[in-house]
Amino acid sequence: MMELNLTRVDYTQVGVTSKKSMRLLPTSGKVQKIAIADHDGILQLFGMKKGDVQHVFKTSTSTKLARLELGGPVGGVRERIFVSSAAVVKGYTKKGKNFLTFDTNMSEPILSMYVEGADLFTCSNFVFNHYHDCKDANSFVCADNISDVICLPANMVDLTPVLACQDRVLRIIQGSNLLYEVEVPGPPVTLSLYGNNGGDEANEVLYGTSDGRVGLVQIGKLAPSHRWELPNEKRNGGVLCIDNFDITADGVLDLLIGRDDGQVEVYSYDDSDEPIHRYSHTCNESITSIQGGVVASAGFDEIVCATYAGWVLGLTSEQQDKAMGPTQVVVSAAAVNKISHLKTDLEQLQQKVTEEREKYQQSATSNIAISAVPGFNINDKFVLNREDASYTLSLELQIPIDNVLLQSDVPIDLLDVEKNSAVVSYSACNPEEGNFLLATYRCQANTTRLELKIRSIEGQYGTVQAYVTPRVQPKTCQVKQYQIKPLSLHQRTHVFDENRPHNTLKLTGQFSQAEMHSWICFCLPELPEKTPPGDEVSFHFMSTFLDTQLECKYRKGDAIFRSDNISTISILKDVLTKEATKKKIRLDITYDINEASIPYTLNLIHPNLEYQLLLAKKVQLIDALKELQVHENDINFMSPEYRQILEDAELLKAEFKKQPCHLERLYDILLSRLTRLSKT
Amino acid sequence: MLVPIFTLNFKHKVNPHMVTIGKYDGIHSSLTCATTAGKVFIHSPHNRAERGGLMTFSNEGDLSLLSINQQVSAVCAGKLNSNIQNDILAVGTPTNLLVYDIDKNTDLFYKDTPDGTNAIAIGKLGTIEQPIAIVGGNCSLQGFDQDGNERLWTVTGDNVCSLALVDFNNNGQNQLIVGSEDYDIRVFREDEIIAEMTETETITCLCHMADSRFGYALANGTVGVYDRAARFWRIKSKNQAISIHGFDLDSDGVPELITGWSNGKVDARSDRTGEVVFKDNFPNAVAGIVQGDYRHDGTEQLICVSVEGEVRGFNPASDEMRGNLMDTNVEQDTIRELSQRKQNLQMELRNYEENIKAGTAASTVLQSRAAAAGGSGSVSAEKLFPPGMEYNKIQMGIIPASTQLQTTLTVHEGDETKPPHVELFIATSNDTIVRAVLIFAEGIFEGESHVVHPHLSTLSNMMKVPIVPPKDVPVDLHIKAFIGYKSSSQYHVFELTRQLPRFSMYAVCDTNTPQPKSSCVFHVSERMQRVLMWLNQNFLLQADLVAEGGILNVAFMSLRGAGPLLFQMDAAGQITIRTNDMDLAGDIVQALATFLNQEDLQTNVDFPDEMEKLREVLVKVDEYQAVRQKLTAEMADHSNLIRSMVVRAEDARLMGDMHNMRKGYVELYNMNRDLVNGYKIRCNNHQELLSALKQVNQVIQKAGRLRVGKYKTAVINACRAAIKNNNVNALFKIIKTGAA
Repeated sequence: MMELNLTRVDYTQVGVTSKKSMRLLPTSGKVQKIAIADHDGILQLFGMKKGDVQHVFKTSTSTKLARLELGGPVGGVRERIFVSSAAVVKGYTKKGKNFLTFDTNMSEPILSMYVEGADLFTCSNFVFNHYHDCKDANSFVCADNISDVICLPANMVDLTPVLACQDRVLRIIQGSNLLYEVEVPGPPVTLSLYGNNGGDEANEVLYGTSDGRVGLVQIGKLAPSHRWELPNEKRNGGVLCIDNFDITADGVLDLLIGRDDGQVEVYSYDDSDEPIHRYSHTCNESITSIQGGVVASAGFDEIVCATYAGWVLGLTSEQQDKAMGPTQVVVSAAAVNKISHLKTDLEQLQQKVTEEREKYQQSATSNIAISAVPGFNINDKFVLNREDASYTLSLELQIPIDNVLLQSDVPIDLLDVEKNSAVVSYSACNPEEGNFLLATYRCQANTTRLELKIRSIEGQYGTVQAYVTPRVQPKTCQVKQYQIKPLSLHQRTHVFDENRPHNTLKLTGQFSQAEMHSWICFCLPELPEKTPPGDEVSFHFMSTFLDTQLECKYRKGDAIFRSDNISTISILKDVLTKEATKKKIRLDITYDINEASIPYTLNLIHPNLEYQLLLAKKVQLIDALKELQVHENDINFMSPEYRQILEDAELLKAEFKKQPCHLERLYDILLSRLTRLSKT
Repeated sequence: MLVPIFTLNFKHKVNPHMVTIGKYDGIHSSLTCATTAGKVFIHSPHNRAERGGLMTFSNEGDLSLLSINQQVSAVCAGKLNSNIQNDILAVGTPTNLLVYDIDKNTDLFYKDTPDGTNAIAIGKLGTIEQPIAIVGGNCSLQGFDQDGNERLWTVTGDNVCSLALVDFNNNGQNQLIVGSEDYDIRVFREDEIIAEMTETETITCLCHMADSRFGYALANGTVGVYDRAARFWRIKSKNQAISIHGFDLDSDGVPELITGWSNGKVDARSDRTGEVVFKDNFPNAVAGIVQGDYRHDGTEQLICVSVEGEVRGFNPASDEMRGNLMDTNVEQDTIRELSQRKQNLQMELRNYEENIKAGTAASTVLQSRAAAAGGSGSVSAEKLFPPGMEYNKIQMGIIPASTQLQTTLTVHEGDETKPPHVELFIATSNDTIVRAVLIFAEGIFEGESHVVHPHLSTLSNMMKVPIVPPKDVPVDLHIKAFIGYKSSSQYHVFELTRQLPRFSMYAVCDTNTPQPKSSCVFHVSERMQRVLMWLNQNFLLQADLVAEGGILNVAFMSLRGAGPLLFQMDAAGQITIRTNDMDLAGDIVQALATFLNQEDLQTNVDFPDEMEKLREVLVKVDEYQAVRQKLTAEMADHSNLIRSMVVRAEDARLMGDMHNMRKGYVELYNMNRDLVNGYKIRCNNHQELLSALKQVNQVIQKAGRLRVGKYKTAVINACRAAIKNNNVNALFKIIKTGAA
């Protein structure tokens, strides 16, 4: 197989971009043009000529542009540009003529949008709307946040919109009703048609999840079928954009993936149509949009990406041989031009900034002047990793970060993240001042993205605050808050095993459904803020650490919780009564403790504990055995068990490294289980 | 892209820091590494050396193993005899130094180093004619020539961690650079200290670069380059540097600093700027980096060894690479950097524009507030915009433009609730609050920063930060204060730097405090004003000191509980320092001498308590030595006994006398237990001895620090001689008067 060799070329920088807000227009002539919309409200269409940006048009609106889509006649060429800003959708021709301004009159801004022929699909946080020829056709209210929408090609199958929802399902819509739900392994955030046309039957959809997985689902008329799923073994970032393009030039479309940790990946398909990894490139900034095409020079395929901070860059197959020698610099004329142009720009800007800075400093003498610094955008994410039951906090800015102060009022552990090069320093803290953790991260120059890993303890809840200071004058810092919930290590799921022995906690009292929902939101992650519709609601959760389960079923005045883990029930009881007391609501609590559940969960832990103990023991032995190996020429005198350990030494170590403190955490859980047991 | 020219795997673990390379036959280079179980292995791919003696042939090809049978603490190869081309190998253990001729497979010499062997360097030093092997131990430095004669002995402040031979003052001779656990880099011209640089952590590695430049690495992940006593650059990483080496990898004629990190990264940085010119990754931590002609083709390679025994060799870059080792696209990088700068400036500009807009929007509210306040005083900028208004929604960070931050440093003597400390007081000039304070300073906190983040309910416009510097060093406090209002989600960051003077943990007290017994007296021919100036700069004083009646007399109280410190100077220029803390007196003498540009300074000291302690320690040393001898003799007896017991018991077994056999073995078992116990006692005894010897060395070092320049060297040498001759009284006299 030919090795992919791509070189990064930066084209331009625009404002902060949202997910999927850059597209390449279909080929007209030899090269394609790039359309991009940013948070500054600017939509631009440009091509590249000899390394220079050549604008076709540039328009600006006052509100931020959240999404950019291309549309066209059904089955025809998609060359009309649609952008969404707040609740308005605007359409432009490829010449820049604004032919459509359509106000949806929705109260919430449009977060995702799709155009198929004369049909427009828009989604705000919870509401999906379908317009035909700018007339209301259908709408649907979703139980959880909608993060993306797509529609199967209308010329091949019936109009079938697909919604990617935060609660780990794809919702297939028919008219104004839900056709069915497809469960996916993580919260889906982005959707794409397989092969750009949905595959042979025009009903295959690719999804990418916020925990970094990618999968392909076939949307059948009655039921879905999962084709394949790429796990995220390397713990890369979440997937933000997907495209299909034949970058390997082998006649088959490849899968292009852009992730929020800056990874761009290329997968091609093997004989059984399963994806295999071919290429990776790291940009250090979230990749918000990705598309394959020909932009810079005719005949050279490239992958065009847009990043969160607004960089538009290409990974091109055209070889760029420029290097600096010890004495001379070999640079192309175009680049020299560009650099000198930039330098003059910079000088002017610098002068202007100096003037303004003086003005600003002079204002300090005035008694009634204020110093008001506008907020900066922080692209943050706080998600639970299923694999190692820890939280990942990622912070991304448009400008380099100077330092981050992390403060927590709950005991948490910070884990080392290899990707992050910032120097961490822990400060002594006093729990009486509400500080259980104070740590500073001093970032290296030009770091715009910082990733941290946090390990929480179930039952201990509170807030983690991050004070982010970027490197820009006048210096300011912004606070971001993240909740560590009492049952922080639980994850939403859709399966519930009825056969396990369950403990039940029943609460009755004068509370409304919304009140109960807000209390449960307080306890458990991954729940929508809004109370879901319906008289009775039920949610299922699974512990990422122990694989125990929890069911919450509640309606007005009545709530039932069932779990095979007695700790979970006990934590819930503690927190819920506390919350209810705050609101002065009396709760009647009844338990039903199933004695069988205790041995059951202990049995769940037991093999794991035993395995971890054995692993720890084996790893401890490795060094000693190695020493023996050095001493003796022949190791046949050793027992087969020891020889096996020596053989597998590397594997064992790698596994042990992968789960730091797993054993200690298991011990903690057992101990807390004992104490909880004695309490209840 | 520069790729390894050869790779090897030794399949042996390699101890970090313990990698060296030598031409033991004078021609071929051999990598030499210390591995587990007290062994050293030598990789000689070009020549199969004869085996025998200590060496055993291993079944893995070109490796030969050298059994040291003690924990190895340092290895170093080099030429000890300038007439012969052969390198010899020096192996250090916690108690010995073994110098071994690999080619002849014989010991050259074997020396006891009771102070331990933490680092070894081989080469020529100063005017000493023959190359010497320099051993850095606990507070001591020893140099041996090829016959094992001691050519150098001196003491240093703390345990030595790293050594390097560098021509520090460009005089064509090598000076010895020593990094130790007390965060100091000291430069020795033979046995005289000519420069001292204070760093922020234990100095784990030192290496020579070019001319008078040398690289250093600290335990906290800092690496950097010094040219003489001036630091060119330093960078800090979250990983630790295990090994550093100067090597010209990009063929530009100047060596780069090559660093091997604990996470397996290897990078090459320009010696001038610290910019990375090359990097590579090992799957495990790096153990060592050396250079040598390993392919025997006349060029030297850079050789990196990981702790798992993986080896990679790199040739210096060829001409075609034109110094570009990393596949970077310079023009793209330049464009990116310029665009980034442009964007930053645009952001700044936007900030000013928005500031003006918000200012206009808020002007009416502000004016009415100012009118309400009666035109005087500052006006609050809290909740300027009514809720729901645009400016309220975007959550700007707003404070009055006239907000100023005041900081003061005071000495706080402490009370029941708080231990004594230096207090940093931070306050804003109006109703804005201090949300949090970050202080970045090296060497005085656990990490590199200290954070104060009070509870939301206790926020106010001022904050008191207690600081307790553990050592008497001047420190720059880089303070970042987050200023805003209680409801703010965006704060202004005020950045300022304050210097904490060297002797900040001393509070002025009444001069009538009981005088300490000990004192240090010396004479300077300087005006009193200069000394006053030094005092004012180096102590935290509320008001500047003045001399009354031509006599300077001040008293301080140590906040660390070391008692009072009296500083007196009379009109004749005689300075008397009274304190029981010998370290403190030394610090003052050194700092004052530097300030007054005194190259040499002789002092008269009297530290009765310290001397009494030293006497006790010396007595203890004698005791420990005696115990050690006794134990060794006992052990020899016991081993003889054991031998005969085994024979007796075996005889009994052969004769079928089970009763006597059992009895014999029971005795043997008891004897064995005694032996083990004896060993434990010996171990403890040895530890005690080691710490006692360290104390002795430290006292000598302290005595040295009370003098400056040649007097300092003289004191140390005289003390050494006195200890060698076991002349305790002379030792006391030397410490007291500075001469024998």
